[in-house]
Amino acid sequence: MKTKLSLLALCIAGFSCTSALAASNPAQLEQAIAKQEAELNKLKHDLAELAAQQKMQQAEQEKQAEVVATTNKVLTESKWSKFSFKSYGSMVYTSDEYYQNVQDTSPERRGRFDLERIVTEFGYQFNDEWDMEVEIEYEHGGTGTALEYDGFDEFGEFETEVEAGGEVMIEKAELRYRPNDAFGVKFGNIHLPIGLTSILHKPNQYLTVQRHRSEAAMLPAVWNEMGVGIFGEMANFHYQAQVVSGLNSEYFRTYDWIASGHQKRFEHVNADELAYAVRLDYGNFKQGSAVGVAYYYGNTSDNRHKSNKVSGDGTVSILAISGAFVQGPWILRGQYLNGTLSDADAITQANKTTPGLKPGNFAQLGSESEAFFVEAGVDLSHFTPVPITVFANIDYSNPLADVDTGTGSKRYENTWTSIGINYFPIPEIVIKAEAGRQQVAMSSIPDTNFFALGVGYQFSL
Amino acid sequence: MKQLKYSAVAIALISTLAACGGSGSDDTTPPPTDNKFEFAATEMITNLTDDVIISGYSTLAIKGEEMFLASQTLVANKTQANLLAAQEAWKAARQPWEQGESHIFGPVDSLGIDPHLDSWPLNTTDLKTVLTDNSGFSADTIKGWNDDVQGFHTMEYLLFGDGVADNQKDVADLTMSEAEYLMGLSEVFRDYTKTLDDSWLISHDGQTGKAYGELVKNPGTADNTFYASQVGVIQELVNGMIGIVDEVGNGKIADPFGTSAATADTSKVESQYSWNSLTDFSDNIIGVRNVYQGELTGASDKQGIIDFVKAGDEALALRVSSEIDDAIIKIQAIKGSNNMPFRQAIADAEGRVRIQTAVDALSKLQASLESDVVPLLNKWKV
Repeated sequence: MKTKLSLLALCIAGFSCTSALAASNPAQLEQAIAKQEAELNKLKHDLAELAAQQKMQQAEQEKQAEVVATTNKVLTESKWSKFSFKSYGSMVYTSDEYYQNVQDTSPERRGRFDLERIVTEFGYQFNDEWDMEVEIEYEHGGTGTALEYDGFDEFGEFETEVEAGGEVMIEKAELRYRPNDAFGVKFGNIHLPIGLTSILHKPNQYLTVQRHRSEAAMLPAVWNEMGVGIFGEMANFHYQAQVVSGLNSEYFRTYDWIASGHQKRFEHVNADELAYAVRLDYGNFKQGSAVGVAYYYGNTSDNRHKSNKVSGDGTVSILAISGAFVQGPWILRGQYLNGTLSDADAITQANKTTPGLKPGNFAQLGSESEAFFVEAGVDLSHFTPVPITVFANIDYSNPLADVDTGTGSKRYENTWTSIGINYFPIPEIVIKAEAGRQQVAMSSIPDTNFFALGVGYQFSL
Repeated sequence: MKQLKYSAVAIALISTLAACGGSGSDDTTPPPTDNKFEFAATEMITNLTDDVIISGYSTLAIKGEEMFLASQTLVANKTQANLLAAQEAWKAARQPWEQGESHIFGPVDSLGIDPHLDSWPLNTTDLKTVLTDNSGFSADTIKGWNDDVQGFHTMEYLLFGDGVADNQKDVADLTMSEAEYLMGLSEVFRDYTKTLDDSWLISHDGQTGKAYGELVKNPGTADNTFYASQVGVIQELVNGMIGIVDEVGNGKIADPFGTSAATADTSKVESQYSWNSLTDFSDNIIGVRNVYQGELTGASDKQGIIDFVKAGDEALALRVSSEIDDAIIKIQAIKGSNNMPFRQAIADAEGRVRIQTAVDALSKLQASLESDVVPLLNKWKV
């Protein structure tokens, strides 16, 4: 290109020289003029060609830049598209009547606020088949200790202080391999599919202000253990089968049966006893109507720190039957749980006499435990412009449904009945109110009334 | 060359450390006057372990056996005299137990024996269900039940009645089911008192561990993971005293006492069925005196915490001694001239004045123990 321009410049220079010399002869002049005209035309043509070429090049450059930009954009977009973030949480106010001690039969009322939980869930899709998910839960406002300097204490002292109550927990940390819909494998810290709360735990997925009390009084609500599981769906059937870490019977308590045997107190989970969980659903509880059955089976004795205190296996088995009917404005969900524990008396004895282990007064264990709930709601937005669901709920639990010897106390047999509303100002937020009655099966303990308000949210990016 | 240097440094360090560690036998430089006192604690610790603590638990075990025999007799022959005898056996067992609350550390805590024997409040609602739904109570079955339907206070309720109007019970009101349950309870009770005594004399965990008494008497030995030094033992003893003074003053008395006669709550009064509350409270502080003086009331003088305090501060030793006596007297004085039980006194204007006086005496004693006796541990030249 440069050479062409230089040529042009030379020609122009030559033309001005020759015109000055040829002025004397008209014929020669004419010839020279014609020649120059031809040259000029040729030059014009060259110039036009050059400009066109330049234009083309520019267009090409622009096109290239565009390609680069779009490629970059595609690259960044796909990086984020592989990452997922979800969060949900709830805050509640409860007003309950409570008893000062076991002899007290005139209840007192107490109102309480609780930043129940804030849950964050991070996921990453490595490729079409592999992904991972980590769920971190902050309960009751988190926890913390702090070292402080107190200049007013004697000569000035360093003090360790507990700053806030609550817990921070990894509730799930799983890797998943899912080549197709019909089959997948997950492992790590995974959710057990026992209990509907494990499936429906976001505030918009249950109607009551707090999660179902019946389930919390019998097994770990949103139960997670270390292990491996397979899952998949075929023709609207969903199945799961898992092998996970078992429970430790040292922490079984009268009031919540095996729930506190969930090993989360220690840095390591004793895994000398494994447990097995299976679930089969027809339909999808998260999306609407479904029926399902789940079963848990596992021994517990060898997971005790003092493993020589109980000679039996301490086998826990739990059967869960659940159903949901969600259609148009109607919502109906329910679950029945039945559990058995072998060697309940031996575990009770061991828990009462293990040095340093303090079950306090709550060592007696049911050899059978039972719980159920039914919640029914009507979504009024189908009839009015107001996005409100009204509901009624009943929860029942009895962790001492049967005992090895004698008769179990009825003190822990509870029934909660309530009515309330869910209001959705926007789909991601729900405001709840609930009022109800708690009945203890023991006639000498009066019924109490409770009232609760709650606000919950959930979103996913 | 390099290794040689490291070795030289190591040797220098070791010899310096050795010089520091050997200061006990190093008598070249006399210690400077550092405001510290000397006291040889071995005799005191041995005496408190054997003659106060173990002796108390042995008495408790004997009284537990007697309680069981009395209830057997009562079931075999339901007479008023046998009921009164069982009531007396209960009170007799209560005394060493309450006095022993001044040193509620070791197996009584680690083996969870305290709640098995002395859970309070009593779960009367569950107890009534237990009595109607069951029969022929075996000790093994009872052991599996929750602690709030067994132990001292369940036996008390069965023996003395509800304690509202009086602490007498007619034998005709004692049902067969109640008597049988009492017998089962006292068997369980006897077993636990025996376990407690054995844990101090034979094995602290009932298995392969050493006797707890030996661990207390021999701190600092290689296999003693409980007590690293005599300082630790004395600290445990002093903290035990502080613990019960705090519990009697701020818990057992203050909780039911409330802020006024209107907020007083009789349901929280311990030993309310037998009207034994004031005896319980004064026995608790007599237990403090046992540890402090080094001997049970009336026995010949032996070394106790008082001798340790005397070595550090003679005036303080005498002051604490009189504060303990004063607290006991003030608690006993709550009953007034007409032998008013504690559960009545909390609702009585004059009774409340006397209770406040006792609470003040206990607070004073607690303050002396916490802010004057405890700091002596730092001044003790071990």
